Amino acid sequence: MKDNFNIVGKRVVRSDSLDKVTGAARYTADIKLPNILVGKVLRSPYPHARIVSIDLKRALKVPGVKAAISGFDAYGIKWGVFRYTQDHAMLPTDKVRYIGEDVAAVAAVDEETALEALSYIKVDYEPLPAVFDPIESMKEGAPQIHAEHKNNINIHIHIDVGEVDKAMGKAFLVREDTFKAAGEAYAMMEPYAVVASYANGYLDLWMPNAGPHVRAKALSNLLKLPLNKVRIRHINSGGAFGGRSEVAPGDLVASLLSIKAGRPVKLVLSREENATSSRQVHDIMATIKTGMKKDGTIVAKDYRVIYNGGAYSSTGPIATSIPFYVYEECYRFPNVRYNGYRVFTNKGIRGMYGCHGRAFLAGNEAQMDLMAKELGIDPVDIRLKNGLKPGEVTATKSKITSCGLKDTIKAASERTNFKKRWARKSGLKGIGMGCIAIMCGFPMGFRSGSSCYVKINDDGQATLVTGLVDNGQGNESMVIQVASEVLGIPMKDINLVCADTEVTNLDPGAYSQAAAFVGANAVRVACENARKKIVSIAAQKLRVKAADIGLKDGLAYSMKEPDKKMPISWVVREAFFRGEPVAATGSYFPNIDFEREWVSRPWGQMAGTFSFGTSIAEVSIDPETGKIAMPRFTTAHDCGRAINPMAVEGQMDGSVQQAGVAAITEGNLWDKGHLLNPDLLEYKVPLACDMPDIDTIIISSLDPEGPFGAKEGGLTVRMNAYSAVACAVTNATGELFEELPLTPDKVLTMLERKKGVKG
Amino acid sequence: MKTIRVNIQVNNEKNVLQVRPYETLLETLRERLNLTGAKEACSMGACGACTVVVNGIPVRSCIVLTAEVDGAVITTVEGLKENGELHPLQEAFMEKGAVQCGFCTSGMIMTAKALLDRKKRPTKKEIVKTISSNICRCTGYKKIVEAVEEAGKKMA
Repeated sequence: MKDNFNIVGKRVVRSDSLDKVTGAARYTADIKLPNILVGKVLRSPYPHARIVSIDLKRALKVPGVKAAISGFDAYGIKWGVFRYTQDHAMLPTDKVRYIGEDVAAVAAVDEETALEALSYIKVDYEPLPAVFDPIESMKEGAPQIHAEHKNNINIHIHIDVGEVDKAMGKAFLVREDTFKAAGEAYAMMEPYAVVASYANGYLDLWMPNAGPHVRAKALSNLLKLPLNKVRIRHINSGGAFGGRSEVAPGDLVASLLSIKAGRPVKLVLSREENATSSRQVHDIMATIKTGMKKDGTIVAKDYRVIYNGGAYSSTGPIATSIPFYVYEECYRFPNVRYNGYRVFTNKGIRGMYGCHGRAFLAGNEAQMDLMAKELGIDPVDIRLKNGLKPGEVTATKSKITSCGLKDTIKAASERTNFKKRWARKSGLKGIGMGCIAIMCGFPMGFRSGSSCYVKINDDGQATLVTGLVDNGQGNESMVIQVASEVLGIPMKDINLVCADTEVTNLDPGAYSQAAAFVGANAVRVACENARKKIVSIAAQKLRVKAADIGLKDGLAYSMKEPDKKMPISWVVREAFFRGEPVAATGSYFPNIDFEREWVSRPWGQMAGTFSFGTSIAEVSIDPETGKIAMPRFTTAHDCGRAINPMAVEGQMDGSVQQAGVAAITEGNLWDKGHLLNPDLLEYKVPLACDMPDIDTIIISSLDPEGPFGAKEGGLTVRMNAYSAVACAVTNATGELFEELPLTPDKVLTMLERKKGVKG
Repeated sequence: MKTIRVNIQVNNEKNVLQVRPYETLLETLRERLNLTGAKEACSMGACGACTVVVNGIPVRSCIVLTAEVDGAVITTVEGLKENGELHPLQEAFMEKGAVQCGFCTSGMIMTAKALLDRKKRPTKKEIVKTISSNICRCTGYKKIVEAVEEAGKKMA
C-alpha cells in the first residue's frame, strides 16, 4: 500500500475545532427560531402503574400555554429497533413502567408558564407491584411488565458451537466464576435536547443523534408522516457514546407539540432527566466457565449472562450479543456456548454503550489470568496463544482479515516491561492486561452502506455531501481529510454537508464503529471518481500522460516535469465549458452476511473488518482504605491506519477515562426504582486529577479494504481498559473482583476475603 | 413581576438590563445577550461547562444570579479574541487536539484563562489541579492539559 501521503496520517487540526474554541459552534439548546415555544414533560412518579386517565384541560387554560399532549394524542404506534421488539409507545396510554417515563407534555411561551401548566395536568394512576432485580423478575409470579413476555425475558441469545460439555469434561483445568457490574451513566456533557418545527406539512428536527436517517424513519412511522416530510437537520452533538443512536421519547413529544401548536418547540432535558429518562446502561451479571488444556489453550467456554434491560427493548438484541462477539472476535473458541438473557425490570430503558459489557469482558480476562497462573503461564503468553490471527474465522463464522492483535500485545507489554513486573510484583501493587477486538460496522440491512456526492466548484473548492454524522469523535474532519488527500485540495477549501436527511443519502451512522471503514470509504470512492475527471482534463491541457498527473495544494501538475502545472480551478472551468462539470458519487458497502440475525441466526460475516487492542493498567492499592491509585496506563490499538493520529489518540485517552478509570469510580446507584445519583456531583465522572499518565501506541495493520488502510479508531480501548484494571487488581491481590466499579468498599471486601483464605 | 436593574460589562460592551430576581448569569448571557458559548450541562455548579470570568475570577454562571454581579466586568469565550486574533489558549486547544465534542470546551478555556492571567507558566500539576473543577467526558484531559501548558509558554 502507498505510504507517502500528503495529508492522511498527519496530525491535522480538526475542521470543527475553530467553531468550538470560539463558542460559535451551535448545539440544539442554542437554537433560536421565531415564535419558539418551551416544551416540558410530566414524568411518571411510579415504577409501575396503570394509567386510568390523563386530564390536560386545566393545563391548557393556563395563559401562555399553546399545546398540551399525552399518548392519547399519538397514533398508538410502538417503536422498536426490530420488528420483534416493537414495545415502546414513547408516551404510554396503558401503564407506566419506570420512574421518569414520559407521560404528558406542554408547550408554552416561557419556562415558568410551562412548569406551572405541568402542575395542572391530572393523571390518575393505579399503582402496580414492581420488580427491579432481573433474577427476581424472571421468577414465577413476578409482576409482568409486558403481557407478551413471560417471565419478563425480553431477549434470549443462544449460541452453541462445537461440543462444549464434552470439551469441558476433557479439559485439564476448569473454572467457573460470576462477575457483576453496575450500569454506568453515559454522562455525555450535553443533556438531551430537541427542537421540532412543523410548518407547511414539513417537520424539521434538530437533536444530538448518531444516525439521522434511522431517526427520521422512526419518527415518520410514529407520526404517520411520509418519510420525505420528516427532515433531521445537522447540528453539533455534545457527546453520544452509544446513547444517542435511537429515536427518543423527547423527539415524539416535541414533534407532537409543534404539530399541535403550529410553532417551533424546544425541549431541553435537565441533567437529572437526561440520566433517568434518556437511555441508561445495563447492569450485568456474567457467569463464566472456562476449560483449558495444560498448555493454556482454551478448549471451551460456557456463558450465562443476565442483562438488566429496564422497561423496554431498545437495542436489546444487539446489547445482549455484543459483549460476546467482541470477545470471540479476539480469541479462538473451538467450543463455546453463550446464553444471554435481557430481562425487563421497572427501571429506565437500557441501551448500547461504548464501554458496554464490562462485567463479562473484565471477568473473562481476569479469570484467564488466574487460570494461566495456575498453569505457570503469564498473561502475555496466554493471550498470544489464544488470540486470533489474520485469516482465522471466529466461532460464529466471521473471517478476520487484517489483525494486529499480536503486535498490540507485544508493543504494550514491551513498553511497560510487563512480564517482569507482573512476575515480580511487590505489596499491593499490580499490573494487568486486557485485550479485545471490535467489529467495524454490523448488519443493518440496506443501511449498512454509505454514499457520498462530491462536486468541485468553479473556484477549485469542493463540496462533499454525505449522510455521515459526528458526535464529537471527529468524523467530519476525518472525511474532509480523506477528500483532501484524494483531490489535492486543502482541507480548508472543502465544505461538508452532512447528517441532514433531506440532502444526504443513507449512512450506517456513528454507533456501529462504521464511520471510518464505511463512511470515509464512500467519500474516498466519490473523490477518486471526481479525481479521474480532473486528471483526464489536466493531462490533455498539460500534454502529459494521465498517469503522470499529481494533485496537490489545489494544483494539477506533472510529476515528471513539475513546472507543468495548472490550478484545479482552471480544470473545473474547462469541464464546465464542456458541459461536464466535475462531480461524482461514490458508495461503499461492506462485506457482511445479511442472512445473519442477532437472535434467529447468530452466525455469518459480522463486519467488513475488525480492529484490535491491548491495554495495560498499573495500580497500587491502599490496604487501609481500599482506594486504588492508577499511576500509569498504556494502550496499544490496531486501527488499520490512523487518518489523523492526534484524533485517534484523543479517542484512546478518552476511553482510558470512560472505561479504565471508570472501573474504579463509575456506576449508577439505586434504591428500588429510584436512581440515586442522576447528577454530576454524585455520579463520579473521572476528573483531570483522577487520570493516570497515559501512553498511547498506534499499530497500523493497513486493512486491505479500509480507506488508506483505516479501521475503527479508539473503541477497542473502551472495551479493554476495564479488563486491564481488573487484571491489575487481580495481580495485586491474587483475587478476582466480584463487582465493578472497584470502589474502596469492594476492594476492602476483596482484601478481607484474601486474609480469610490465608488465615 | 418586580425586576432588578443591573449594569454589567460583557466582552467590553456595557449592558443595562432589567432581570428577574432569580435569573442566573448563564440565562442572561445565553438568552438575553445571545452568548451561547457557555453551556448548561448540570445546573448545579458541578461540571464547569458554564464557566465565565467575572472580575478576573472563573465563575460557574449557572449558580450565580445576574443580580449578584451588578457592576461586574465579564469575559465569555466569545470575548477572547483580540483584534481578530485567537487567544493563545484557543490556538493551543486546536493545535493540540484538545477539542472533541466541544461541549465542555468554552468552560475549560475560560477556567484556564483565569489561571494563566494570574499565574505565568503554571506547572503541569497546577494545571491539572485547576481544570479538575471542570468535567470533560471525551478527552481524558491529557490533550487539554498539554494545550494549557502550551498556551502558558506562549503567553509567558
